[in-house]
Amino acid sequence: MSEAHLDNGEPVVAVHDVCKEFYRDAITIPVLSGINLELKRGDYLALMGPSGSGKSTLLNLVAGLDRPTSGTVTVCGQSLESTSESKLARWRSRHIGFIFQLYNLIPVLTAFENVELPLTLTSLSRRERREHVEAALQVVGLSDRSHHYPRQLSGGQEQRVSIARAIATDPTLIVADEPTGDLDAKSAGEILDLMERLNREFHKTIIMVTHDPDAAVRAKQIVHLQKGVLVEKTHAGQE
Amino acid sequence: MHTLFYIWRNLKRNKLRSALTILSVGFSLALMTVLNGYTAMQDAWGAESEKYHRIVVLNIQGFSGMLPIAYVDRVRGTEGIRAATPYAWYGGNYKDEQMPFAQFGCDPKAAFGVWDEFSIDPKQLEEWQKTRNGCVVDRRLADKRGWKIGERIPLKGTFYQFDLDLVLCGVWDSPKNTDSLWFNWLYLDEGLREKNAQGTGNAGTIFAQVTSSDATAKVCQTLDERFASSDNPTRTQTESAFFQMFADMAGNVRAYIFYIGLAVVFSLTLVAATSMAVSMRERTSEIAVLKAIGFSRRRVLVTILGEASSITFLGGCLGVALGCSFLELAHRAASQIVPLSVSEMLGPWLAYLLASAAGIGLVSGIVPAVRAAQLSVIDGLRRVV
Repeated sequence: MSEAHLDNGEPVVAVHDVCKEFYRDAITIPVLSGINLELKRGDYLALMGPSGSGKSTLLNLVAGLDRPTSGTVTVCGQSLESTSESKLARWRSRHIGFIFQLYNLIPVLTAFENVELPLTLTSLSRRERREHVEAALQVVGLSDRSHHYPRQLSGGQEQRVSIARAIATDPTLIVADEPTGDLDAKSAGEILDLMERLNREFHKTIIMVTHDPDAAVRAKQIVHLQKGVLVEKTHAGQE
Repeated sequence: MHTLFYIWRNLKRNKLRSALTILSVGFSLALMTVLNGYTAMQDAWGAESEKYHRIVVLNIQGFSGMLPIAYVDRVRGTEGIRAATPYAWYGGNYKDEQMPFAQFGCDPKAAFGVWDEFSIDPKQLEEWQKTRNGCVVDRRLADKRGWKIGERIPLKGTFYQFDLDLVLCGVWDSPKNTDSLWFNWLYLDEGLREKNAQGTGNAGTIFAQVTSSDATAKVCQTLDERFASSDNPTRTQTESAFFQMFADMAGNVRAYIFYIGLAVVFSLTLVAATSMAVSMRERTSEIAVLKAIGFSRRRVLVTILGEASSITFLGGCLGVALGCSFLELAHRAASQIVPLSVSEMLGPWLAYLLASAAGIGLVSGIVPAVRAAQLSVIDGLRRVV
């Protein structure tokens, strides 16, 4: 994995005074209020909190999938609150890697092709894409399964392919929503090991939403959300 | 990996659904191919007829009217006419078969002058001219029936009250299969006279060849003016117009085909749209993932429209292939009804059918594609992220 994004001291993620409200008919539902958060390159943050506390909403804002009602969200130097949909799509393809709870691999594509999918949006040649895919699959230890379809893989292997897809474009930030939520303890441990390695060896900035305290302690920082407000921030080893 | 590759993989995702959609489009397009092939065949047949600048004279009332045999000589004597022959449809049964091929009474001395693109061995022609009950047939018909020179061919009259007992004198070669038999018109007329039956002295129609296509219109007008004041006024037209008249007898076939085509296209669009809508609904989270990792709206739109068009285009190819196969089989089995092979009527209408198939896919895919392109990633993922 290359070191495409050099550390210039600026935060990778800067969330300032962010509020997010949803509207259902005439009812306004506040989900996040007064959120401030900064992550530097190489940070690894676990977002915890009960259901409905706003974890996923905050993750969506940081990943450029949603816009705040007020406040600013700046990720990798890009201010996201006023960027157009098409620019955001391009920006996400370059800067964000996604890991989903249910893996969300494309069932008609092999592991290799799934990992290659985000690379098809780049200007890389076929040979360069193959090199990237092979490197990503090697990192997650699935080089020998590259021609398997998702249905031919175990849950843990599917999630590792999902991680390979997330890192194939060498993104600055990886967002993971309950990456171990659908896995058994052994597979979950392997996935957490892998994410820790991405952070430690490849200096990837990671935000992970989790309910699992055992998963959260693997992060460098843990943030608790309650009713849309950040209530606690702890560092690994302090819990 | 390219969009086309992804489209192809998606087509194979639910093989049963894809196959059923392709088959429904295919069978409908096969029907349209047959219908459109019929009109294309008429056009091609008409265009072919134009080359030989032949004209057809018949009673102004049509086939029910009398066309005296004496008119043949008067037609022959008209300026601009190269050759003319009576051409009376017999329509007899052969053994147990009802009108299995076309049979016409004509003038053995003039027929191959009117159809000068046909060729026959001069000795066989001479034999036919000498033999009152002789006949000649298209070589393809003789081969199909296994007839040899000297073969007895009995025909039982259905329209005429006189049975023909014909002897095969020769076979002719022609650019197109006519599936026809010619006998001497005089043989029929004499038989009818002997039996004091109706229909004597009737040429049926007169086929004539004019010296040049430029003269055709003038000759037609001259002939009709000449017979206008007689008991049997005529209507003279080109051979292609004559064949078109047969088609018109069945009503405005082209209009029927057009409206049937519209109905087929409309129903196919609904079938394809339903299939695509179900497919998209099943893949909501997948589309959301594509958009999350950076696929633009346009790319999602193109992918889904491409998928819809591909599936109907494949169905279209299948349908056109089936329809053309049917036309070819029909041509081989009944060349009286389908006189041209598919290879002789290839044209833009086939491309139009394939384009229609792809168009059905585009139209049917628009709604699912736009909905997918506008899908909120968050809603699509159901807040997984």
